[in-house]
Amino acid sequence: MRPTSCAAPTHTSLVYDGDRAYATEAGGFLRAGLEQGQRALVMAPPSRMELVAAELGADADAVVFVDEAVAYEPQWNAYRVLLDHLATTPDVRTRVVAEQVLARRGPAELVDYRRLESAANVVFAGRAVDLLCPYDAGALSDGLLDIALRAHDGLQLRGSVVPNADFRDPFEELASLAAVVPPPADATTLDCSDESDVALVRRTVRALGSRDGLDQGVVDDLEVAVSEVLTNALLHGSPPTLVHLYEEAEMWVCHVQDGGGLPVDPLAGVVPPIEPSDHGYGLWLARQLVAAVDVGSDLTGTHVRLHVRMPG
Amino acid sequence: MILGAHRASADLGSLEPGTHLCALEPDAARLDRVAATFVGQGLAAGDQLLYVASEDQVDGLVRSLSRHLDAGQALATGQLLTSSLEGAYGPSGPVDLDAVADGFRLAAHQAQKCGFPGLRVAARMDDLAGLLGSMDEVVAWERKATDLQRDLQVSSVCLYDTHLLEAGQGATLAREHDGMAPDIDVAPIATFLAVDDPWGVQVRGEVDVSNRHLLHRLVLSRAAVTPRLRLDLEGVTFADACTIARLRSIAAALPEGGQLVLARVPAVVRRVLELTGLGHPQLRVEP
Repeated sequence: MRPTSCAAPTHTSLVYDGDRAYATEAGGFLRAGLEQGQRALVMAPPSRMELVAAELGADADAVVFVDEAVAYEPQWNAYRVLLDHLATTPDVRTRVVAEQVLARRGPAELVDYRRLESAANVVFAGRAVDLLCPYDAGALSDGLLDIALRAHDGLQLRGSVVPNADFRDPFEELASLAAVVPPPADATTLDCSDESDVALVRRTVRALGSRDGLDQGVVDDLEVAVSEVLTNALLHGSPPTLVHLYEEAEMWVCHVQDGGGLPVDPLAGVVPPIEPSDHGYGLWLARQLVAAVDVGSDLTGTHVRLHVRMPG
Repeated sequence: MILGAHRASADLGSLEPGTHLCALEPDAARLDRVAATFVGQGLAAGDQLLYVASEDQVDGLVRSLSRHLDAGQALATGQLLTSSLEGAYGPSGPVDLDAVADGFRLAAHQAQKCGFPGLRVAARMDDLAGLLGSMDEVVAWERKATDLQRDLQVSSVCLYDTHLLEAGQGATLAREHDGMAPDIDVAPIATFLAVDDPWGVQVRGEVDVSNRHLLHRLVLSRAAVTPRLRLDLEGVTFADACTIARLRSIAAALPEGGQLVLARVPAVVRRVLELTGLGHPQLRVEP
């Protein structure tokens, strides 16, 4: 018999209505894995973790629970939690229940979450993992429930998985989510065509971020993220290299634009380099440091937008 | 190569090894400033510096440098060497220019043996004509020095007080150099100074795409002498992922028994280490 860890990974959504349905479906999914000697990871809000724990009883001791407020802060950290978990026991298959509170997310973060869900189909190919993503039918708008349909090739219904006809090819979906948004006319724009300008951008981000009341920790992380993205633009893009700073939909945006170069891999920096490397960490680091990252290119060049939350 | 003024500090930081620069200034105070810029930027970039000047001029340089970096430490570790003109060229002048060239060669070799990536020399030239016998001999030496320095990868600035020159001599001297040294002093965003005990490097300021190669070459030079070394990062206010990733690679490539210790690691560096997951048994991060 083939070891279960070799079977293809699965990425399934569960559209649930009410606590009872959630506990039965998510609990049943995890129990089936535990009974086969598999591992279990739950990234979810506390109320959901409690439902799973109650449903599994003593079996819950074998489950690793991570509060979604930690796992999804920022959203791409969920990949890191997952990859770290898989790395500890690469030969044992893992069942994962992954759900965050989408209601607290702004528009830019929700677009990024669509990318995160679609990219998971590619990123975790070849991994010994089964992902179940619950979506709360009672709380979420049709627009958000739409993510459940587009990004998962299976739907869990009453304990079994059925193929999902609405599943979209991840690369098509990621391309459709990569539209370039030009900077507004009133943006502060810095010309950064020299390597010594990266330090000047950090100073400007610090000064303007503090002026606009961003948290100190947010500014610290944004300085690292913009340095990484700007360095990529200087080393791999073409001039002119510009940094635009502006506010958009409750977010403070740091927008790096260069004249363009090689086509941008839609999965660049979604996961860190597999082997330790001298480079290739920039976009990964940016996604671990800010609330949302848009990457796109068109005739105006390559655009990377780093979003952080405004206070209040 | 003629260095412009507005990019002067960046250019001096990553000065192409073997560049032969000249300064022609009308007074000692401005020559002091050019010397301090050249020596300060060179030390910050991790190179060994030799300042050929009088005792008073050396004292003035150390005072001026101390605004930006620990000049006392640079003197103690031998990263900053000083010498009188007689000490550098021999008390009764060199027997011939080949003897001077041999001295240069020895000093460049010694710099690498002491764990520095390169040697830079700043020299007050005012008394050289007296020592060599004539201004023609000085010009002949300068001509020889351009090729020699390129060959040895030693950069220098030759500091001339134009009040002591005759008409036309300044232009003749300038022609024998690759360019003019800047006389503005913009502090570099980071300083990379050698430390002897424990063997390693003290890093202060911001390390990014503009200067990380300077840190890496100093660490490699130190590691070539002793593969167990410590980086004091307490004064680091920024370091990008590539800076850290390359340090990991350097640690991983150390010979068996080697170790690169990151000491007094600030939060901004810990964050990058944590998020990249970079680590290696030969890279030790002090708690």
